[in-house]
Amino acid sequence: MAFQSLAGIGLRSPHVEEMLATRPAVGWLEIHAENYMGGGPTVRALDRLRLDYPISVHGVGLSLGSADGLDAGHLERLARLVERVEPTLVSEHLSWSIAGGAYLNHLLPLPYTEEALAIVTAHVARVQERLRRRILVENPSGYLRFHHSTLAEAEFLAALAQRTGCGLLCDVNNIHVTCANLGGDPDAYLGALPAEAIGEIHLAGHAVNDADGRPILIDDHGSPVAEPVWRLYERALARFGARPTLVEWDTDVPPLPTLLGEAAQAARRLDAAARGERDVHAA
Amino acid sequence: MSTLRELQRDIRDALLGEAEATVGEIAGDGVAPAARLAVYRHHVLTSLTAALETTFPVVVRLVDQRFFRYACDAYVRAQPPAGPCLFEYGATFPDFLAAFPPCRHLAYLPDVARLEWAMNVALHAADAGVLTPETARALPAGTLESARLALHPSVTLLPSPWPADALWRANQPGGDAIVDLDAGAVDLQIWRRGDDVVFRPLPPAAAAFRRALAGEGTLTVAARAALDAEPGADLAALVREVLDDEVLLDCTR
Repeated sequence: MAFQSLAGIGLRSPHVEEMLATRPAVGWLEIHAENYMGGGPTVRALDRLRLDYPISVHGVGLSLGSADGLDAGHLERLARLVERVEPTLVSEHLSWSIAGGAYLNHLLPLPYTEEALAIVTAHVARVQERLRRRILVENPSGYLRFHHSTLAEAEFLAALAQRTGCGLLCDVNNIHVTCANLGGDPDAYLGALPAEAIGEIHLAGHAVNDADGRPILIDDHGSPVAEPVWRLYERALARFGARPTLVEWDTDVPPLPTLLGEAAQAARRLDAAARGERDVHAA
Repeated sequence: MSTLRELQRDIRDALLGEAEATVGEIAGDGVAPAARLAVYRHHVLTSLTAALETTFPVVVRLVDQRFFRYACDAYVRAQPPAGPCLFEYGATFPDFLAAFPPCRHLAYLPDVARLEWAMNVALHAADAGVLTPETARALPAGTLESARLALHPSVTLLPSPWPADALWRANQPGGDAIVDLDAGAVDLQIWRRGDDVVFRPLPPAAAAFRRALAGEGTLTVAARAALDAEPGADLAALVREVLDDEVLLDCTR
């Protein structure tokens, strides 16, 4: 089956042993780059799994939006990992995590301004040049916006893709969460993304918390994909066509079969979308 | 209006600062800007605390999870990570605990933390070839004697006035309930052997021998250090043991 219509799972350490022992049927695996930048059994397990599964390297620490500049040493480590793993996809986030030498371990929000666009554009170009390949940039989940933003997030991403040639990783759960928290229309968001740039889709669960007496959705990757997110995913597939889709589950990690079951649900929708595309081409 | 650089410094300071801290550029939209920023602060502190809990599980057991999280809150704010690989975060946590007034009376705690840090280093250290007894035997005569040797990057030598190894073992599932804190000093070697992280106490001559090798000394220098520590040391046995442990970097490649 074409990679475009395969569903994958995020590889998490509690599942590695079972993955190695049972090699379940799943389209591909995504790893967090920063967990594989040392040596030892962690990377050796990946060396074995990558013989059986396509791998996607998903960075969480490059901090593409840092005004302080990219950490050249970290970019080198990412480049060495990419050389070792030979992944099918490489992705990072539209966010920042480093300021004044402190790494804050969160995908922090950017103001969507021309200043920020120029900084992120320069960083994505430098990463693509060093890795000698196109990367995908993911939309973050948002809990706040800045007064001085002049662009919508989707417009910012479209401009970034246009200026750098990068692809986009469309996190459907993040669109749902961000629009609920900041007052946006998820379908208008999808409509503003350039379909041809979408190289991957993410799905995950979210939680509902309280902030200052109002409900706020938290992208905690700690539960099954929510029903409204599945429906938004179907509309995303209708707009973009089949795209490799990943289910992430990071907190309260469930038994492996539960996660594989979520991926199977995505795979059914991908099959339907791929059949639809073939029918359109046939007609 | 601040530049992006200034805005990011302000947000960093607010995230590592007090609960009510915020920055002026954040829109409220019906929720207080400080409450919006608090969503991010909560994740920063809890996710970094979780990373430290993974690295220091015995310390968590010794002080109780609530106290551990209280200490982490202060540590993360004072010494946030310098880079994004979280398995590299926490090198200074043992020293922080040693100086943290609420647990300063637990004099053995920092060395237990140092042992757990050394185990974490061993687990994630870069892969590098080791000199095994077989590869050493295959070397041309005199090679080992004249080479500048070094220990594998997974190796830590940790001297402690406390029985840090017994404290660690007592806090494993099914471990001994009672540890004699007056059992005396230990000199531990912590390293990765195959895929397993292991440690063992070293006698004084072996510890001095390996410390000299860790400083990229030759066998002659290491032998002198071993004899200084223990005048009757069996040098052939020291060489054999260091090869059996598989802690010497393969200097022949």
